[in-house]
Amino acid sequence: MLFCLSINQMGKKLARIFDSGNFRLVIPSQTRYLNLVTNLAKRASVAAGLSDSDAAKVSIAVDEAVTNIILHAYQNDPEKSVEVELRFSPSSMEIHLLHTGQGLRDDQVRLPDPNEYVKHPRKGGLGLLLMSRFMDEVRFMEYGGRSECCMIKHLG
Amino acid sequence: MADLSIQVRELDGVSIIEPSGFINAHTVRQFETALEGLVKEEHYNILLQCINLNYISSAGLGAIMGQIEVVRENGGDIVLSNLQENVFAIFDTLGFTQLYKVFDIEADAILSFNKPDGQEVG
Repeated sequence: MLFCLSINQMGKKLARIFDSGNFRLVIPSQTRYLNLVTNLAKRASVAAGLSDSDAAKVSIAVDEAVTNIILHAYQNDPEKSVEVELRFSPSSMEIHLLHTGQGLRDDQVRLPDPNEYVKHPRKGGLGLLLMSRFMDEVRFMEYGGRSECCMIKHLG
Repeated sequence: MADLSIQVRELDGVSIIEPSGFINAHTVRQFETALEGLVKEEHYNILLQCINLNYISSAGLGAIMGQIEVVRENGGDIVLSNLQENVFAIFDTLGFTQLYKVFDIEADAILSFNKPDGQEVG
């Protein structure tokens, strides 16, 4: 099922989700929807109690993760979809990004060394580094024919 | 409102790019085109004025990386000013604040190109 919510609709929806604990959004695999998802992540983060500064970092991590799925896992196939699920608990906010493209596993992730990067600048690899720096946990897994990127931010 | 709009202007021999909105995978081509356009026209003293930049993802950082070598080879530089807190956090987290000069205000960034201290002289 595909949801496309305006920012105002999203805000109203977010105000209700914390009782149920979960929120789910499915977007087409197109970069034009990045802004919608990052706004959702930012508003959810603030509603969950994070500072504006931390909420901005969460939204960047989500931007990077969804971009990786669209560009690399799906190789820009606009007919695919990305499922975004937010799960809330008193101690954390979890962002689960699910897709059916070519996923990563934890053992395949190689983060660039920032010090090395400064000495030898190059394109690529920075998105994963931002995700790992801006979130408390980032995990990649595959199951049931789907791949998942799970990012966790601890609250409080 | 558009996701990204870009203004380009000149001041004291410095080309100023002022993006408003978001630079991410969706809008990066627009930003890249503006930056490439300046370099193709041999404008090598470039200021990225970030006062209205709400965020920049790694796609945007890659666009800057793609031009910095040719800019510096030609005696110029790309410097940054007026970064919002979260934009600074992105640059700083990735070590870009060691690669690029960052100024609080535009006027200081412009002046830096005219200081007689070596490579950044315009």
